[in-house]
Amino acid sequence: MRKFNKEIVFGLYDDETDLLKAVKTANADHLDIYNVYTPFPVHGLDPLLGLEESRLHIAGFIYGLIGFLTAFLGMTWVFTKDWPIIFGGKPYWSVPAFIPITFELTVLFASVGMTITFYVINGLGFGVTNPILHDRITDDKFCIAFDTHEVSEGTAQSFFEATGASLVDIKNI
Amino acid sequence: MTTYSIPSKQRTFLLAGIIIGVLSLVGSWVFDSQEFHMRFWTNFLHNSVFFTGIAFMAVMFYAICNTAWAGWHTQFKRVWEAMGMFLGVGLILMGIIALGVVFGWHHLYHWADTPSVEGDDLLQLKSAFLNKAWFLVSIALIGVWYLFAIKFRNRSIDEDRNGGFDYKHHLRTRWWTALFLPVAAYSISVVMWQWVMSIDAHWYSTMFAWYSGSSLFVSMIAFTIMLLIYLKDQGYYPNVSMEHFHDLGKFLFAFSIFWTYLWFSQYMLIWYANVGEETVYFKTRQDDYPLVFWATLAINFLLPFFILMRNDTKRKFGSLMFASIVVIFGHWLDFFQMIKPGAVHTAHELREGHGDAVGAIADHAGAHGEAVGQAVEHATSTFHMGYTIPGLWEVGTFIGFLSLFLWVFYAYLGKANLVAQNDPYLSESLHHHA
Repeated sequence: MRKFNKEIVFGLYDDETDLLKAVKTANADHLDIYNVYTPFPVHGLDPLLGLEESRLHIAGFIYGLIGFLTAFLGMTWVFTKDWPIIFGGKPYWSVPAFIPITFELTVLFASVGMTITFYVINGLGFGVTNPILHDRITDDKFCIAFDTHEVSEGTAQSFFEATGASLVDIKNI
Repeated sequence: MTTYSIPSKQRTFLLAGIIIGVLSLVGSWVFDSQEFHMRFWTNFLHNSVFFTGIAFMAVMFYAICNTAWAGWHTQFKRVWEAMGMFLGVGLILMGIIALGVVFGWHHLYHWADTPSVEGDDLLQLKSAFLNKAWFLVSIALIGVWYLFAIKFRNRSIDEDRNGGFDYKHHLRTRWWTALFLPVAAYSISVVMWQWVMSIDAHWYSTMFAWYSGSSLFVSMIAFTIMLLIYLKDQGYYPNVSMEHFHDLGKFLFAFSIFWTYLWFSQYMLIWYANVGEETVYFKTRQDDYPLVFWATLAINFLLPFFILMRNDTKRKFGSLMFASIVVIFGHWLDFFQMIKPGAVHTAHELREGHGDAVGAIADHAGAHGEAVGQAVEHATSTFHMGYTIPGLWEVGTFIGFLSLFLWVFYAYLGKANLVAQNDPYLSESLHHHA
């Protein structure tokens, strides 16, 4: 189990509209939200939390480019230098025949590379267990969490009461 | 409840464009020495097919969205309804081509020339489909599309006035659009074989209808983006947001790649199988039309692919506008290289006399090289305006047809509310979030 050494006070909401309203209230009150957990992507939450656009797609482009070059240059080397074979009377360097494989490897490198990158930057993967604040966040509840160093427990309690959280708890992770 | 009215300046502008087009058509008829007025007729066919096809694609995409219960486009569906109305003009334009086929005014189609068919086994076999009666059927199909387009539009306008919470209009329109889709999907294939592919009468490709159809679809989306940006700039469609443009940009991006996929699939299979009667098509284009042939690939694939790949370029007017203009020109060029080489070849064969020129298929590559050579009067370069690359008459004709298309579009756009009222999906469209 990974340890963050943080004391987290969190509240659960029943509905994503309640959650969005609560996040807006927190922004208005200048409460520094530690994180928000939802069972599915909630539309319009990212701009409220001030999250930047992910740079994952840039990594994806680079992986795709690497896949493209690997396939194209690899085949070029194999079929012109290493082991030239004539297929169906075509020239050794037959670009149209390379394109389907180049396309496949571009897609493969981009998708696998992006998946691995996504897992690494999010601390996911085999053998990694992350602390979960509450089991029902993975099911049907929406959670706002505050770090007690940033927002005091009392402030958080009154905030959750005011915004209609159905459950408030504190947990060390 | 705003309606569109053409500014008088723009009216003058479009009228000038139409006059340029007419002058270019007359000019290409009178001043150009290409045999059988082939330059005039290829230009006429080229632009008629291109703009009729765009109008058809607008109707078809409208029907697809409607059948798929899509709501994002509902705000600006009048744009597609107005585009589809160009089918009426397309019917007249293609009707002129059809009359030409029946009465022998032009020699665009090799198979329409009886002496050529008599000396040619392949054309005799194909004459079951490649004949004048079937050509008239293909023209009648535009009429069928047009009737459907009118039906959709009338129901939509009637909904503005009489639509209620029972959504009777919408449900009934969905029935009609669902009926239209199979008709459209089959007929566009037949029509594309008949109008464009049969110019190279010996050649055939099972990918062709898809390939040329995707060309038209991309052009239609590009037109939609340009027109919406223009209308927004004029102060119309205040609620068409970046979310809608983002979706249109995605369509432009995705279907540019789809076009490339089909282009490549057609090319690679023919290249790999290496059957003489198929490869001659690409041999001609690569040897005699290298600029147009490779430029279409660069313009229609590389540019939109790299310009529209990022998220933010699909949400900016500048990049969307640039990509749209480039892509429309690219697909127009694509149709140029589908039509011109075969027509030049046919002209050559007819001049050489019937019979001997249509002998062995394998000779065609060579014969065709000569044809272009002779047509340009032994010019040393393969770049000859109006023959192997578009010249000024071609561009002028394009401007003319474009102005006519826009004229018809604005005229019909101005006749109804810009935003369809009482459509059950209107609210979804107003709050669309990509």
